[in-house]
Amino acid sequence: MKGKQYERVERMTLFMRLNHWVVAICMVAAVITGLYIGHPYYQTLISEPAVGKYVMAWNRWIHFYAAIIFDVSSIVIAYLYFFSRFERPVEKLIPTGRNIREFFAVLVNLITLNRVKRFDSSHEDSFHVVYFTIFHLLLLWMLLTGLQLYVHGLAHGQSSIGSWWPALLHFFTDWTIWATGGTLMDVRMSHHATMYYIIVWILFHIYYVVWRTIFWREGDISIVFGGYKFKKVR
Amino acid sequence: MNREHLRTLFTTKSARVNTNRGEEYYRELLNRCRQRLETLKKMPSFTKIDIREVLEDEGISRRDFMKWASAMTAMLMLPSAFTPLVAEAAELMNRLPVIWIELQDCAGNSEALLRSDGPKIDEIVLEIISLEFHETLMAAAGHQAEAQLEEAMEHFHGNYLLFVEGSVPIGAGREWCTIGASGETFEEHLKRVAKGAAAVVAVGTCATFGGVPAAAPNPTGAVGVMDIINDKPIVNIPACPANPANMVGVILHYILTGQIPELDSLLRPKFAFGYRIHDNCERRAHFDAGEFVEEWGDEGAKNNFCLYKMGCKGPMTFNNCSIIRYNESVNWPIGAGHGCIGCSEPDFWDKYAYERPMADANIKMAPGGGVEKSVDEFGLGLLTAAGIGIAIHAAASAIAGKRDDEEGGR
Repeated sequence: MKGKQYERVERMTLFMRLNHWVVAICMVAAVITGLYIGHPYYQTLISEPAVGKYVMAWNRWIHFYAAIIFDVSSIVIAYLYFFSRFERPVEKLIPTGRNIREFFAVLVNLITLNRVKRFDSSHEDSFHVVYFTIFHLLLLWMLLTGLQLYVHGLAHGQSSIGSWWPALLHFFTDWTIWATGGTLMDVRMSHHATMYYIIVWILFHIYYVVWRTIFWREGDISIVFGGYKFKKVR
Repeated sequence: MNREHLRTLFTTKSARVNTNRGEEYYRELLNRCRQRLETLKKMPSFTKIDIREVLEDEGISRRDFMKWASAMTAMLMLPSAFTPLVAEAAELMNRLPVIWIELQDCAGNSEALLRSDGPKIDEIVLEIISLEFHETLMAAAGHQAEAQLEEAMEHFHGNYLLFVEGSVPIGAGREWCTIGASGETFEEHLKRVAKGAAAVVAVGTCATFGGVPAAAPNPTGAVGVMDIINDKPIVNIPACPANPANMVGVILHYILTGQIPELDSLLRPKFAFGYRIHDNCERRAHFDAGEFVEEWGDEGAKNNFCLYKMGCKGPMTFNNCSIIRYNESVNWPIGAGHGCIGCSEPDFWDKYAYERPMADANIKMAPGGGVEKSVDEFGLGLLTAAGIGIAIHAAASAIAGKRDDEEGGR
């Protein structure tokens, strides 16, 4: 490494990092509690009256809170995709010649194990943005199917914040019944299966960031903690 | 199931159950019902049976009858002021001609209203309707029965309610099911009888969504009535069997108002299918507490714990079993210690009735058959594939070693 100079590049603002960790915690919480809701995997057969345990209820409470924090964060992220003052991911999403070339350049870099690197790795690249967009679409699907499952319990059309909320949920999510196969159970299955896609996504996400850190030697892993990575100065 | 009906989700306020429409609305409705009953009273009754006599013979007092009427009024989500009108409507049941046909079914819905431990008021009321044709119940057979159907269809043209029990085969196996000497298929039969009906009531899950005959691989191509008939008002009363109380509810509503009740997107009356079983389940507290029956007959089962882990589908099934139960509230499946199998939902046999929670259902993923795979197995497989891919890439990376641009540049 001798004789090489590095320069700091800001890649994530404080808000982006906070959001990342909130989402990460929500994700873990939602998966743990969601699996319990789908199939209660631990028993609560202890000698205490039912009213004192409330285990399923707490699981659902955590699941719903994680989900709603998730949902609101997704709305903010969707906004930032277009109007961020820092970096607008949407600019890397538009299929211009330059973005398509960059997308494949990064993909080639990954599959050639960093033998070929024909792009500037100091800023957000097209491949990464496409990858994150897939994540946000999966999240959007979870949001829609999850809220559809949620609204089934609000047949009376009321909620603690007014009747507009269930009406809104029906308006925006009823089509998921049609889209998944026609029954309420199909929505449930889709919600459950999508969890696995998201876990697979996270698996690759963590692996890829670690891989970039090791192979590119630009400190990519520290972006999410400190907000900066490092760029070689020639 | 025909997805066309699901598209109406976008245009109807299908899911909202409105139990209070305001004084003005009910006052107007009350007047309308009174007028309607007056007109019906002037009409000749089609049968000689008088409900008051039947009830007396069965040992049911007027008081019991009025109790039943007020329960019915509540079930129909009407204010208590309607109770006398509901009782009157029950007495006028014999002004309503009904034709009941059976298609691809087990006659379970007919059985449901015949085989209770003693005649309940629901069943008695159903007995006094002017049942013009019912294959299972009528004395006539063969050509005589056929003739009776023709006569009823002609005589009551445009006025009769058509009750349909059983699914309609329209696939490769449609010719296995014919009826009468003419060899008419079920589809032709249904279309012909429905032509002169005022409204069609599909009773039971087979007639509504295809039910058990439509379960994968659906050898006969069975569908529900609403997939065949599209020019008549249709009321779906699913469940396996349909609750006689809900059948009576629909008929009472028709007699009272001359209209079919408010329906949801699956054409089910909202008064019966507006809420999930879960919402009013007597074991709900055990669900929230996380107290589940782990296996049949265990300590949890003895203590009436929640049946969710034994595959209860109450949380995703819309029906009023947990409120009105069966046989005039004697009991119902969950009360008897078995979970709900979602029998009033479309595709229930394939997607609900597997007696395990959905997460380990092991039901087919691919529509139309194929390898059996559960969501979990599929997910785990995908996860494994991704893990292997990552491991290969990581191993290859490690073997290839790190290279800087300068060192590896060629």
